[in-house]
Amino acid sequence: MTAATERLPTRLPRSRFAIGSAIGAAVLTVLAGRAVGFDLSGLITDLTRPNSVVEGLLSPDWTQIWSRRSRSAFIETLQLAVLATAAGAVVALILALYATEYGAPNRAVRVGIRLVNSVIRALPDLLWALLFVSAVGIGALSGLLALFFFSIAVISKLTSDTLDGLDQAPIEAALAAGASTTEMLRTAVIPQILPSYVSFVLYGFEINLRASAVIGLVGAGGIGERIQFFQGRGEWDKLWGLVILFFLVVFAVERISTFFRRRLV
Amino acid sequence: MIRFDDASVVYGGGVRAMSGLDLEIGDGEFVVVVGLSGAGKSTLIRAINGLVPLTSGSLEVTGRQVNDLNRSGLRDLRSEIGMVFQGFNLVDRTSVLNNVLMGRLHSVPTWRTILGRYPAEDVAVAAEALDRVGILDKARVRASQLSGGQRQRVGIARALAQQPKLILADEPVASLDPPTSHEVMRYLKEISAELGITTLVNLHFLDLATAYADRIIGLRAGELVFDGPGSECDADVFESIYGRSLTADDTMEKQAAL
Repeated sequence: MTAATERLPTRLPRSRFAIGSAIGAAVLTVLAGRAVGFDLSGLITDLTRPNSVVEGLLSPDWTQIWSRRSRSAFIETLQLAVLATAAGAVVALILALYATEYGAPNRAVRVGIRLVNSVIRALPDLLWALLFVSAVGIGALSGLLALFFFSIAVISKLTSDTLDGLDQAPIEAALAAGASTTEMLRTAVIPQILPSYVSFVLYGFEINLRASAVIGLVGAGGIGERIQFFQGRGEWDKLWGLVILFFLVVFAVERISTFFRRRLV
Repeated sequence: MIRFDDASVVYGGGVRAMSGLDLEIGDGEFVVVVGLSGAGKSTLIRAINGLVPLTSGSLEVTGRQVNDLNRSGLRDLRSEIGMVFQGFNLVDRTSVLNNVLMGRLHSVPTWRTILGRYPAEDVAVAAEALDRVGILDKARVRASQLSGGQRQRVGIARALAQQPKLILADEPVASLDPPTSHEVMRYLKEISAELGITTLVNLHFLDLATAYADRIIGLRAGELVFDGPGSECDADVFESIYGRSLTADDTMEKQAAL
C-alpha cells in the first residue's frame, strides 16, 4: 500500500435518503404486485392456452397490406400526423419561448403562458381524443385536433428544457443594441436552439404516428379506427396483418427520423 | 454628452457600486475607466445604456434622462449606444454577418427580422462595419470558427453597425492575449477618432490604459478617485486608485513576461 492511498480521505457516508428511497421503491413494487394479484405461472398458462387472438398472430393476413381500405386508413394516419405536428410545432415554439423570463419580462404574461402549458401537458393523448370526439364528433378532424394539442405538449416541454440551458450573453447583446423582445428571441435565441428544436419536431412526429393508432380506438380517425373495426368483428388474422404493417411503417419512420436527428445535434 | 449628477447605484444585497458620482464626458472623447474588479467599472458602463438603473441621482445621455425612460425609450437610447463585451457575446451557431446585423435590429421592421429578410441598405451597413475591422471576407463563416481576436472584431462591427453616437466597451480585451489586445484597442481608438464616436472602455491593465486613453477615470469602491489625461496618470496615481502598490499582475506586458 502506497503512502498516497493511506492519506486518501475516507469515503463519504452513503446518503440515508438514497438508501431509504431504494428500500421504499422495492417495498412499493412488492405491495403493488400483491394488490393486483400478479402470478407468473398464471400468466404463462393463460398465454399458452389456445385462443383466437394468439392464433391470429401466428397466421396474420398479409393481404391487409395491399387492401385498399387499410391503405387509405394509413394515408389518413400519416396526413393526421404530418398536419398536427407541423401546426403543433409552430404553436409549441411560441409557447415555449414566451414562457421564459427573457421572452416575457412581464410576470403576469409569463405565469399565464406557463399555466396554459401545464394544462396542455397534463392531458394524455387518449384524453384529448375523447374530448374532441365528444366535441366535434367521430372522424379525422377530432384526431387532428387531439394530435395537435398532443404535439404542443411534447414539443414545448422538450424545447423549454433546452431553453433553460441557454447562453445568455447574446441575449444581453441584442437588448443592448435596442432590440425588442421578439427580435431578440429571433436573432439571439432561435439560432441557439434550432438544431434541438428540429430534432424535437421529428420526434414529435414519431410519437404522433404511434399515438394516431391509439386515438383511433375512440373514433378519432386513421389506422386506429380500422384496428378497432377488425377487433369488433373478431377478425384477428386481419388485425395482426394490419398491426405488422403499422409496425413496419413506424419502424421505417423512426429510422429515417433518427438518421436526420443524429445529423442535427 | 454624458452627465452623471450625484448618481448612486446600490444593488439588492446592499453593495454600493456607485456613490455620489459627478462626471461629465464630452462628445468624441476616448475615455478609459480603470479600477480593481468590484470598483464599479461595469456598473458605470451599464448605467449609461440603462442595463443597470440608478438608485438615486440623475444621468443624462445624448439629451435623455435615463431614469425617466420607459421600455421603448430605453430601446431608442440603446440603439444609439454600441456595446462591446468581455465575452464577445456572439451567437456561435450563426454567421458573422447575422451577428453584425443584430446591430441593425432597431431600424429593421420586426416581420423582416422574423423572416430573416434584412433590407439591402442594412446589409450594406453591416458589410461596411465588417470591412472597417478587416474581416469582411469572414462574413459568411460561422462565428464559432473564428479566433478570439476575430470574434472581438465581430463584436466591434456589431456595435458599429448601430451607427452609434457612443460605444461602451466592458473589459473588451480581458479574454485576449497581449498582441490581440493591442489590435482590438487600436480598432476602438481608430473608430472613435475617425467617426467621432464617444467611447468608454473598461480596462484593468494600467499600461494599456495609459497607452490609449485621452482621459482616464479611476474608480475605487464606487467613488471617483481620479479624472485626468493619461499623461498625468503615473504610478502614484495608480496606487491611489488600487489602494496598494503596483504588482506585475497590474500591467499586461509584465504579466505576459511572467
